[in-house]
Amino acid sequence: MNRMKVRGNHVILSLVSLVLGFILAFSYHLTKMENEKPKMTDKQYEQTLALRNQLIEQEKTNRELQKELNQKQEKVQKNEKELAKEAQVFSNLAEDTEKYRLFLGKVKVKGKGVKVTLSDGAYDPEEENVNNYLVHEHHIFKVINELYISGAAAIAINGQRLTSHSYILCNGPVITVDGVQNPAPFVITAIGDPDVLSSSLNLTGGVKDQLVNDNIVFKLEKEDNIVLNPILGG
Amino acid sequence: MWLPVAGLIIGIILGLLTEIRIPEEYSNYLSIAVLAAFDTLFGGIRAYLQNIYDEKVFVSGFFFNIILAASLAFLGVHLGVDLYLAAIFAFGVRLFQNIAVIRRILLTKWSTNKEKLEKS
Repeated sequence: MNRMKVRGNHVILSLVSLVLGFILAFSYHLTKMENEKPKMTDKQYEQTLALRNQLIEQEKTNRELQKELNQKQEKVQKNEKELAKEAQVFSNLAEDTEKYRLFLGKVKVKGKGVKVTLSDGAYDPEEENVNNYLVHEHHIFKVINELYISGAAAIAINGQRLTSHSYILCNGPVITVDGVQNPAPFVITAIGDPDVLSSSLNLTGGVKDQLVNDNIVFKLEKEDNIVLNPILGG
Repeated sequence: MWLPVAGLIIGIILGLLTEIRIPEEYSNYLSIAVLAAFDTLFGGIRAYLQNIYDEKVFVSGFFFNIILAASLAFLGVHLGVDLYLAAIFAFGVRLFQNIAVIRRILLTKWSTNKEKLEKS
């Protein structure tokens, strides 16, 4: 009985010591952990603070830069749209330039067209005046004007291109085109729709009839492939 | 005799191995509890040496003091009054008194033993 009581005492005592040991060890452990965790010297703290501030600063800058980037991107998009528009305009301009060059005779032109040959009439002993069967400038003017009116894109006389400021002079038996003398027969080549050009020249009472009346040999051919060289030094 | 020692060792091991984390503001209560436990322990030893040891008083005092000290600290934190200082003061004073009494008793015992040895 006494022994049992002593045993019981020991059990209770061991329980108490268990709790005591647990509390002691736990407290010690906890304090050690706490001391380990925030082991920070002033210097380290300052460093951390500085780094943190730097980070905040960086983030701020990043945000600003991001905003700027967005704005710039919008700008770029706008510019791109404008550029696309400009490119369209440029291509239109380029086409126009090509057309104008064609009219000015700066480029080589190739295409369908007609070839008109004007030759002096055969010698006629009945005719006193030799001028009555020679090709004169106004004949050529007539032909050229008729061709231009009918939509010819480019015209050349004896292979020499005409421009908007060309001049044609009658100079005895020769005709001066832009200072270059051309003898008869005169070959007028025009690029355009051959059917339209030839029918306009062949109108009854039109250019052909008038020229034939003036004793000029008029020959009209449709050609599929006419090449007109650009004006030299033009 | 070995059972309480084994209990102590097991308790220490358990305490060292537990990975329970309590919030920092509660670590105050734990230190108060430790102080209360020490106080009761030395009180018990003193009572034992003075032959007035009562197991019921010791065990109930041990647990009751721990809980009381912890709840006092808890109350103090929530009231904004540093009540745990009262606990520290009371337990600290009693701890020193108890240790002093134990020392005197041990000294007296030692000297009487010595006298007895010399006499015999």
